Amino acid sequence: MLGYYTRLALKSFRRNPGLTALMVIAIALGIAVCVMTLTVYHAMSGNPIWWKNDRLYAVTMDNWDPNTPYRAQPKLPPPEMTYKDTQSLLASNIPERKVVMYSTDGVISGAGSAAAQRVGTRLTTADFFSMFEVPFLYGNGWSAPADSPPQPVIVLSREENDKLFGGANSVGRTLRWNDHEFRVIGVLDDWFPRPRYYDLNGGNFDPPDGAYIPFRWGLDLELLNNEDTDCWRPEKIDSFKDFVASDCIWLQMWVELPDAATRVRMQSFIDGYWAQQRNAGRFPRPLNNRLTNVGQWLRDREVVDNDNRVLVGLAFAFLAVCLINTVGLLLAKFLNGAAITGVRRALGASRRQIFIQHLIEVGALSVLGALLGLALAALGLAAVHHLYAAAHLGHRGGYQELTHLDYVGVVWAVLLALAATLAAGLYPAWRVGRLPPAVYLKSQ
Amino acid sequence: MSLNVRPILSALLRNRTGAVLVAMQIAIALAVLVNALYIVMQRVEKIRRPTGIDVANIFVVSSAGFTDHYQAVPSIREDLAYLRGLPGVIAATPLNAVPLSGGGSSFPLVTRPDAQRTDNFNYFEVDEQALDTLGVRLVAGRNFRHDEITPPLTKTDAARFAPEIIVSRALAERLFPHQSPLGKRVYDSLNQAATVIGVVDPLMGSWPYNEHADWVLLVPRLPSTFLGSLDYLVRTRPGQRDALMRIVEAHLGKSNPDRVIHWVRPLTYFKDLSYLGDRAMEIFLATVTGLLIAVTCLGVFALATFNVSTRTKQIGTRRAVGARRRDIVRYFLIENGLITSSGILVGCALALGTGYWLSLQYALPRLDLYYLVAGVLLLWAIGQLAAWQPARRAAAVPPSVATRTV
Repeated sequence: MLGYYTRLALKSFRRNPGLTALMVIAIALGIAVCVMTLTVYHAMSGNPIWWKNDRLYAVTMDNWDPNTPYRAQPKLPPPEMTYKDTQSLLASNIPERKVVMYSTDGVISGAGSAAAQRVGTRLTTADFFSMFEVPFLYGNGWSAPADSPPQPVIVLSREENDKLFGGANSVGRTLRWNDHEFRVIGVLDDWFPRPRYYDLNGGNFDPPDGAYIPFRWGLDLELLNNEDTDCWRPEKIDSFKDFVASDCIWLQMWVELPDAATRVRMQSFIDGYWAQQRNAGRFPRPLNNRLTNVGQWLRDREVVDNDNRVLVGLAFAFLAVCLINTVGLLLAKFLNGAAITGVRRALGASRRQIFIQHLIEVGALSVLGALLGLALAALGLAAVHHLYAAAHLGHRGGYQELTHLDYVGVVWAVLLALAATLAAGLYPAWRVGRLPPAVYLKSQ
Repeated sequence: MSLNVRPILSALLRNRTGAVLVAMQIAIALAVLVNALYIVMQRVEKIRRPTGIDVANIFVVSSAGFTDHYQAVPSIREDLAYLRGLPGVIAATPLNAVPLSGGGSSFPLVTRPDAQRTDNFNYFEVDEQALDTLGVRLVAGRNFRHDEITPPLTKTDAARFAPEIIVSRALAERLFPHQSPLGKRVYDSLNQAATVIGVVDPLMGSWPYNEHADWVLLVPRLPSTFLGSLDYLVRTRPGQRDALMRIVEAHLGKSNPDRVIHWVRPLTYFKDLSYLGDRAMEIFLATVTGLLIAVTCLGVFALATFNVSTRTKQIGTRRAVGARRRDIVRYFLIENGLITSSGILVGCALALGTGYWLSLQYALPRLDLYYLVAGVLLLWAIGQLAAWQPARRAAAVPPSVATRTV
């Protein structure tokens, strides 16, 4: 029966090719626009380490100005930490892993024959690699003893290793970072979490840093953060020592807590430290220390921007118009073909069969629409990608990273085609089934 | 008028499905059209805000000293002498952050010592050629003199302020409303004072997407190098930018072994990047709105065609009993007008509701009613236009059709 109905549908398409094409295009446009916006939305709202969502927590403490909260979200503590608070919290043994870090600009020279070049460098404690499950191509990260005093060891990203050493296994080679000798101990494999959840102070979708060295080098070499540094207290900061002792926030801190109990213990440890510091005259704002899991962190930091939400809404409104349009066209078409339906009814087709036959016709339209829609969406996303890549002068990062049509797009196209069939086809198919056959037979 | 609306309305009500569908389309289309257009126009307005900067003829050099031998001040002097000596270069200045790039520094300033500090203001550390390099207009007071440029902040006096500053007119208006800022004093967070000696207008700072992107001040100081990189802004004569960029990159890349050149890029790169999201939004919204109008147009056209084709006999009868072609055309246009109008009525409510919801949810400004009026007129015109051809076809039905059996 299905085959027969499909053949009937194709026959019907051939009867009004123009009208059929119009309907397919309308459905395709609607689906294409939805798939495009949903693909970007999905990429933007992803949680790149969802399997650790109940283990990884960003640590934040509200050390801000008693008179004005930090920036636009008054309920949230500042997203970064002061040096002294991170050091006090690092002393705790409650977390299974703990990381304090920031990023800076470095210059790598003396690596083979490569020219001196700028490398975005992360200064971090040792747990970074295991905590964020960073894959290694060669070698490994350093272990905790290399953190203090800091050993001259460096981990390179795969891209950086390609640039400096032509992709060879560079473990054991030496290079100069800001004119200090470092030994390569590891090379990362491809790793590009989107969004860059562990540090949202630069571009949310920018690639990870090119090099990693132990955190304490930052103090020894007096290196400032190249992303956000914020201060509120009027303090005389003349030197790096003053800066480190100040209430300026510039460090990111994460902890890995294996279960709810350790989380509670960590929270009370932080709050205890807060109370003690408050007695000493710091933390003038109300108690607001947070352990935030990655999902909530991405929401708090508003990684999905409003523009994208508006676009998804717009896309669905557009799809609705396309589908309503298709309902109208289908109705006209089915009623035009009422004479044929009348004959089929007279020959014994039940209302149910007429209904199913017409619904299958709409289904075939939707499938064609979805296929064309996917193709249009791929084209559209490629155009958006091109727009962004051109503006980035070919560098990676930014929204160009969100424009890859993947299984999400296909799943959405299938769902939307199904929805289109039901939304656009139900009423016309039902309506044509209700037509009294006698009228059409009589007038013939 | 040989036709009144009553019979058209009753005919419509007898066969409402198609009409309701088209009205729904028009309603949604109006809501989307008006709000999308409004958002696009806001973006366009934002992108068109004057920067005050000769963006097209400026390029940026980013460099960093990375060895212990690197000496900031002599290196800056040498680089500036080279850049300013190049034929085709109008002016060059070192500075601490690239205007329009989304990266920069700010600090609080107040007009009385110890006053409550609420806003941070975007500042640039520059030398006496900054105004010429940016191409920005001095509207009051004077420029910095060469001997007023103070040495860079170092790791032992990083909290030092400067004795004089130049402010943008917008910042002057913020700090000293309705007064001349010249000669007035401002205070930093440590109550160190500086005197305002000049006002420029307009000048956009580091963050073009900020509401107050034009609250900017210039500090006469060589940029400090302990933040990592040191940037130069170079303004060239029209048409010479790209050639000079290549020459500069080749020379500076080799002139000092203790320093690397990160990149040499046109300022347009940073401006385009800062506005990229707005531009993408604009293009996307405009495309979808265009498609939406096209689809709606098709919907109206298809319904009118369908109505005409199913009423051929009725039209013939009316022609036979004396209706003129004009009357037939008018009938269909009025019918279409009724449908479109009811759609527009619902659409207005929908548009206002959506606009209100968007303004609440996403902190967008409330919908401007002019856009609604424009949207209504546009959709009405489009509706009539789309029904025009089918109505003409209806008028062409000969009266003799009435006498034929189908």
